[in-house]
Amino acid sequence: MSFIEILSQAFTLPFMWRAAALLAGLTLAAGLIGVFVNLRGLEFLSDGLTHAVFPGVAAGFMVAGTGGVLWGAILAAAAATVFLTLLSHRKVTSDAAIAIMLTAMFSIGVIIVSKSHNVASSLEQLLFGHLFTVTTTEVIITLIVCAIAFALVLATLRGQVFAAFDARGAQASGYRPLGLSLVLNIAIACVVVAASIAVGNLLVLAVIIVPGAISRMWTRGLGGLFVGAIIFAVVAATIGLLASFTVSVGANVAIPGGASIAIVFVLGYLLSLAVRAIVPDRSQQLAKRGEQ
Amino acid sequence: MSYFDRALIAVTLIGALSGIVGSFIVLRRRVLFAQALTHATFPGAVVAALIGINIQVGAIAACVSIIILLTLIDRLPRRGVQAATGVVLAGGFAGGVLLQALNPTAPIQVDAYLFGSVLSTTTTDLWVSGIALAVTVVFMLAAGKQLLFAIFDPAGYRGAGYDPGVMDAILLVLTTLTVVTAMPAVGAILAIALIAGPAAAARLVTRSATGMVIVAPAFGVASGLVGLSISRMFEVSAGASVALVAALIFVICLAVSSLRSRTARTKPKVGAENLDTGLIRIQAGAHS
Repeated sequence: MSFIEILSQAFTLPFMWRAAALLAGLTLAAGLIGVFVNLRGLEFLSDGLTHAVFPGVAAGFMVAGTGGVLWGAILAAAAATVFLTLLSHRKVTSDAAIAIMLTAMFSIGVIIVSKSHNVASSLEQLLFGHLFTVTTTEVIITLIVCAIAFALVLATLRGQVFAAFDARGAQASGYRPLGLSLVLNIAIACVVVAASIAVGNLLVLAVIIVPGAISRMWTRGLGGLFVGAIIFAVVAATIGLLASFTVSVGANVAIPGGASIAIVFVLGYLLSLAVRAIVPDRSQQLAKRGEQ
Repeated sequence: MSYFDRALIAVTLIGALSGIVGSFIVLRRRVLFAQALTHATFPGAVVAALIGINIQVGAIAACVSIIILLTLIDRLPRRGVQAATGVVLAGGFAGGVLLQALNPTAPIQVDAYLFGSVLSTTTTDLWVSGIALAVTVVFMLAAGKQLLFAIFDPAGYRGAGYDPGVMDAILLVLTTLTVVTAMPAVGAILAIALIAGPAAAARLVTRSATGMVIVAPAFGVASGLVGLSISRMFEVSAGASVALVAALIFVICLAVSSLRSRTARTKPKVGAENLDTGLIRIQAGAHS
């Protein structure tokens, strides 16, 4: 079967449409929110959220099967978001304490799953997603969760941008920093939950971090930053989805869709880093000249 | 020797090693970096299983590559090293899973690499852990004081005519050694609990760095033995039980230390006794 034939065949299959719809919602939300993750340096908070969501995912799975995963994830994410936001605003704890508590959360998830009968396969599904076997209900709930994330950030966009660039200035002009952080962190948690289904708990981080980081390397100005991040996320997810379908059908090995999407994101980041290291950054040259 | 005896010896050796090296990692504030290293062992183990070599050799190679990669990225301007770490880690997980999917017949056990399989410890594993522990203890006895000096006061250490960079490099080597030794038993995701947990707990209840380096391995061994017994009793994942007990010890120490500081604060503010408690608190503050 030729490459073109495989591609034309791809979208006659209903599960490909479900995967594509889910990814469309996910990439739009992840692109927008990834910019703020990058600007505010929230990479480790996002990592923490993915770890903290895992016991919820596992408990939901044990109680109600695959359909329970989203609800468990949503509950755990809500609890973890409030906890982590308060923690990061108190500034009393060390990174050691956070690492220990998050690993403990993860352990609880593993213990829950290890009581199930088919430990290995359910664990892998929870950790690395099941993009090609999502149900229509899962797609709808994921899209709703993504829409909530998108709306939350859009509604507070002015404050978020202000706080990202000048936290003290935003506070002085009457924005409430704790409230803004909480809204942003809830949005990140929504993306984590939505992505858990598609790309899995361990790979969520790539989808959240990479678009913002790449866009920041190549664009100037705020509008470009958002547009660049969303365009990259959509293109990379499309490439990953089609690549995993083509290899799965063409070479007859089952490639997990989430892993191939995550690897496209990561390769895109490394490529962008390499090109940026060779091609000089014009805005930086201008800045240097200005200093002299 | 039964498989459970081997597991008990393994968690004892690894708990002690993690406690000692973990103390220095916590004091030097390199916990997040150590976490990156533990995660990186996963793709290393998958690649090693694919080409049929010992998974710990693959884990060492992966640790060295990520150290080099992150150092290179750190040198580029305007690239957050946090973002780079996160991306490289997610890439490692994704790459590991893809390699496994592409080679369905290869003997790759994803869950064992992620969460450990201490019950399948071999005699060779025990030798590796024992040698790693012996090397670390000998180094600490010989140069532990210098390492502490370099961590607490890099400027003073440099002024005394030594290079703090050398001690940082040695700590990096010890961290890699610990991560790679602990990985088969507690896994790439949970290892950081055993490395940071006992050390952070010991820091809360001891008053000197030397005390911390002695108490932390005891906590580490206790986490290992108690966790393993719990996992046998309730038939749950061994790596997760060990990580959970380590976290529990940390929480208990946190409660003890906050209670202790509260009682110290409510002591009378005037009188002869006050001078003493004040002094003790100043001393405690100087050490912590």
